[in-house]
Amino acid sequence: MQKHLASTISTVLLAILPCLKSSGDEVEHKTLKEFCAGCHVGDEPEGEFSLLDLGESADEDSLELWMASLERVEAEEMPPEDGIQLTEEEREELIDFLNEKIDEYEPPAEEAARPQVVRRMNNREFANSIADVLLIEDIGTHLPAADLIGDSLHHGFDTHAATLGFSKFHLEQYVEAVRKIVDATILTGDRPDSKRYLIRPTNILGATTSQNTKRPARPGRRDGFDFLDPRSLAYFDDFETTPTTGWYSIKIECVGLDRGRYDEEWTGIYDADPIRLQVIMGDRKRLFDLPDKETTEIELDEWLAAGTRFRLKHPTDGLRLQGNGNFKFQNRITAFYYKKYEPQRYKELAKTFTKKRGDGRQRQTDDWHNWVDYWQGPRPRILSAVVEGPIYKSWPPKRQIALLGEEPTIDGASSILRPIAERAWRRSISEEELKPFVELVQLRKELGEIEALKEGIVAVLISPEFLLLNQPELTPEQRFASKFSYLLASSTPPRELNESITDGELDSFEEIRNEVQAQFQSGKADAFLRAFPFAWLELNDINFMAPDPDYFKHYHRKLVSDDMVEEVLRFFRHAAKENLPLPELLSSDYSFINADLAKIYGIEDGPKSSTFERYAFADRRRGGLLGMGAFLTSTADSLGTSPIHRAVYVMENFLGIHPKPPPADVEISEPDVRQAKTIKEILEAHRSDKSCASCHQGIDPYGYAFENFGPDGSWRDAYTVRDSSDAKNAPANRRGRAAEIPIDASAAFASGENYRGIIEFREIMNSAARQRLFVRCFVEKLLTYANGEEPKVSDYAEIEKLVDISNEHDYRIIETIAAVIDSPLFR
Amino acid sequence: MGEPWQGGGSPSHIQPVRPMPHFDRRTILRGIGGALSLPLLESMTSAGEAASAPPTRFLVVGNPFGAHPKHFFPKDFGKDFTISSTLKSLEWLKDRMTVISRTDHGMISGHGREISFLSGVLPSEAQAYAEKNMSLDQLFARHIGSQVRYDSVGASLEAGIRMSWTANGVEKLPISDPQELFDHLFLNLTPEEKKTRRNLLLRNGSILDTVGSRFTSLAGTSSNSDRGRLDQFQTSVRELEVSLQERTTWLERDKPKFDISRYMQGDSTIEDRYDAIFDMIAYAFQTDLTRVASVEFPAELNYTSIDGVNRSYHGCTHNGKQENVTSELVRIESFQVSRLSRALKQLDSIQEPGGEGSLLDHTIVLFGSGMGYGGTHSNRNLPILVAGGGFQHRGHVDASDSSGKSMPLCNLYVTLMQRFGIERDKFNTSSGSFDLQFS
Repeated sequence: MQKHLASTISTVLLAILPCLKSSGDEVEHKTLKEFCAGCHVGDEPEGEFSLLDLGESADEDSLELWMASLERVEAEEMPPEDGIQLTEEEREELIDFLNEKIDEYEPPAEEAARPQVVRRMNNREFANSIADVLLIEDIGTHLPAADLIGDSLHHGFDTHAATLGFSKFHLEQYVEAVRKIVDATILTGDRPDSKRYLIRPTNILGATTSQNTKRPARPGRRDGFDFLDPRSLAYFDDFETTPTTGWYSIKIECVGLDRGRYDEEWTGIYDADPIRLQVIMGDRKRLFDLPDKETTEIELDEWLAAGTRFRLKHPTDGLRLQGNGNFKFQNRITAFYYKKYEPQRYKELAKTFTKKRGDGRQRQTDDWHNWVDYWQGPRPRILSAVVEGPIYKSWPPKRQIALLGEEPTIDGASSILRPIAERAWRRSISEEELKPFVELVQLRKELGEIEALKEGIVAVLISPEFLLLNQPELTPEQRFASKFSYLLASSTPPRELNESITDGELDSFEEIRNEVQAQFQSGKADAFLRAFPFAWLELNDINFMAPDPDYFKHYHRKLVSDDMVEEVLRFFRHAAKENLPLPELLSSDYSFINADLAKIYGIEDGPKSSTFERYAFADRRRGGLLGMGAFLTSTADSLGTSPIHRAVYVMENFLGIHPKPPPADVEISEPDVRQAKTIKEILEAHRSDKSCASCHQGIDPYGYAFENFGPDGSWRDAYTVRDSSDAKNAPANRRGRAAEIPIDASAAFASGENYRGIIEFREIMNSAARQRLFVRCFVEKLLTYANGEEPKVSDYAEIEKLVDISNEHDYRIIETIAAVIDSPLFR
Repeated sequence: MGEPWQGGGSPSHIQPVRPMPHFDRRTILRGIGGALSLPLLESMTSAGEAASAPPTRFLVVGNPFGAHPKHFFPKDFGKDFTISSTLKSLEWLKDRMTVISRTDHGMISGHGREISFLSGVLPSEAQAYAEKNMSLDQLFARHIGSQVRYDSVGASLEAGIRMSWTANGVEKLPISDPQELFDHLFLNLTPEEKKTRRNLLLRNGSILDTVGSRFTSLAGTSSNSDRGRLDQFQTSVRELEVSLQERTTWLERDKPKFDISRYMQGDSTIEDRYDAIFDMIAYAFQTDLTRVASVEFPAELNYTSIDGVNRSYHGCTHNGKQENVTSELVRIESFQVSRLSRALKQLDSIQEPGGEGSLLDHTIVLFGSGMGYGGTHSNRNLPILVAGGGFQHRGHVDASDSSGKSMPLCNLYVTLMQRFGIERDKFNTSSGSFDLQFS
């Protein structure tokens, strides 16, 4: 089994290796003897780690221990504060010594050869690749890949080879998905007739959002179809699903109404937010800003696959603040509005409300039932629409000619399949290799020329050469092109990239650097700019333990987790495009936030709408990843916070240190939010147990600093003790206000470094040593994403070189990525 | 109120797809109780065999977060134990079930290890085992093979809990929508559709022929480290080829008929939808469509339609010992058990076709989780319950040994395997078997 770098440090000090070949009972290295032997020798060495286990120098068995020792010394955790105090020169001497010993390790031949890991492409890459192979914009609007088996993540990564399994279920779904895509791309038979649908508002229906599927959909009125419940999807009655594959021209006459009429605190829609209309065609979505009160015509020209569900939506995260969030309760807002702005009218209307409740008593005037007919919330209105299609400028359609040529025949199968297969397999293909596919086409000739060719295309796309990345059959150039393209674009390499690599245009660091920068700027690398930070920072888990809905209403009602993810992605994208130094990612003084996040972050002079803006945090508590809600929320429980979860996240994702999980026989006590003890007091008690302390003294200081951030990432000065005896009966807004305990967010590292709170902690994280750890962590995560497996222990020296190159360029992102791509660890 | 299932028609008579007429349940019971008519049974084994030896079936129900221990485990031990609050709905079955305390897979604390529920092995350690982290249900499914139309059926709502794993160490996903489950189990195709499907199976077969050999040649050229993974690809092609052939055979036979419309009328709650799932499985057992079924209660599902539940399932597990939140958790767990209880009553009301006792007496039922209790992230003391299966049940048992060490849960699985007719005395981390006699 390969030893991976990630597991290295996890074994830190608790690893007890069986007695290794050591040179007797004496520690021979002078340096070690001087600095470490005080604690780490004898029958019961500190942390159950004896210097004797290191042996003469690093070999296959002891390499992990050497590395762990280096990590601890570099992080200035060893020697500990109460041990020997090292001068800077002495520490450097110790680090150099350890590095030297690690360098003496020679990896076995197989590892040295660095075989590329073969892996299945994930569903994301599958969709992109097929679209590029078939020369189409996307795999189609009929959700052809919806039945693919979802990819499991490995610590957030969807490119992890060992996790991307393959079974008959996968294979079968691939066959089905590819068939559906090909069927919606290559058309046979006679040219279908075009039809024109004139859509009146009364023919537009708003689907019910109730689980009750029998409840009828709501039609528009004669003067227009108004969008009410933002969760409801509307559709054209005559065009609910697309009947035939082809181009459709869709024109929608629409207007945005009543923006800002209701107070934004009631609706959750900011006055400055435009009213929008979203058109949903399977996975393809289009968004339009509607001008206020002024009728506009939006136009779409779309290739729609037969069976596409054509849907329209009012995309907003508002209109969920009243009641339990269901739309019907929002009708209360109309009562608020009249009461505040048109009190006379309010009184008049109130007199007309005669409807009785089920028990015969009169309803309250503000009861939502009374106001349903008077709704004037912000909303899009559709006045009319025209759909025309399918339209073909030629028959067969141009996209088909581009793929198959003017008059495709079975006899021409070889020349038709070749370019498709070469794109799909990411290499050139011999006549011999193509033969079975040509034979398959011939075997199916009874289906007709084009249908038979489609069988060949399906087979090409079910082949392992397509589905599996990094195959040994690729030449080094082809493999590099493929890896480069899947890293940045999550898709097959375009011809130009193949050519420039063959021509040696990406041989040097400089050339790669320029290409990466060009791809960041042109949008070609958008897949990377989204998928990599999403995986690295494990954003998929943000709501695995969402803040409690009773106590953190804003978080749930305004779908703030979406904003938190968006904040990270925008920030990363900005940093990458501007080529900022990597450490700025961690602790710059700014971020990108909107009004929903400003509310959580307690910012009053920030953005006033849903639009994200750059914002500098003057209080130095936030800015960069360390202050982001995504990190603070996904590492917290729903009612309380856990310094350990946050510490482990910081260590694993920001510093590349992997603390060992607690031993199996540890019983962890259940958090009790009713007790008047702080988490710190509980953990201190825990640390008085010596077996726990040896690890936790290295872990906990990375987490305490964040204690001022609550479960939703908002700032707090004190803990609130939740008194559940009172909670049972008290109304939701007055629950659990029994007592407040001030927060202690200070801590000290074993090295003696200490901080009083988040501001000082951020300075510590900005030290040169930790900046270097952060960059190394980034490099390791990037390699994991790009290679489909974590770097190996034996890659250590090479990774150090990459960090050095990065350092020579101020740790700038693009140069760091270029160094990784140019390194033998990737190539 | 009519029961959901209806009388079986003759398989030679091709029915239109839907709608189907309602039958009174008594019709079907009469059909079963009397001379059992051949058409009712689905399996490829002859009816004669079915009559002489009724098949053993397996139903496993799992959740991702275990159970609140105080409410799940009965306070006292032995056959005469007092039913616990979470298990209250199973009181009627008290004499025919065994609740097992102090068993686990020896896993450390934390999420993500519950996926080893049915194997005792995590995916990351799977290479060390010949059958990887294959789950018990899939082991049983492999044993049954193509004797029945579906070697196993997995169902849940919305999402799964990663409970079923194949011999290749790949996750098998449950069908997460009752309508889809219905279509899968009971929807018959029109003759026209059958023809199209037959053609498609044929065409897909040829495509596999074309690409299958490529997977093999690939494995030859690859390095050691990848070979394991490439094995997966080859196996997939082989298995799918076999599966397509079997399906071509099954395609010609009609499926049993079943009606779930009553669950889908009006506001269908998760209660209705789980009942629909369990009823479909009961009927699939009865008609021998399948013999292995798994049902999952996922974390992602919204349980707020249960009276008194307002929070997310996961949120409730981290209740910080607040009584009001804990009680929501117990309601969710009791809900899961109550749906199981209803399903078992259903199975118990059906006479085993061609055998003694009820369907339940021939169905091994396992309820549990690979996590002990979410509130502490503990993977110790897993909540485990076995019912039915014709066992001589033991009430509430403390499975720890004389030194106080918990029993490997795989010991129980060895016992269940033997009951299922698999002659083995070892399964992954087992150290023996669990004492549960069957007659």
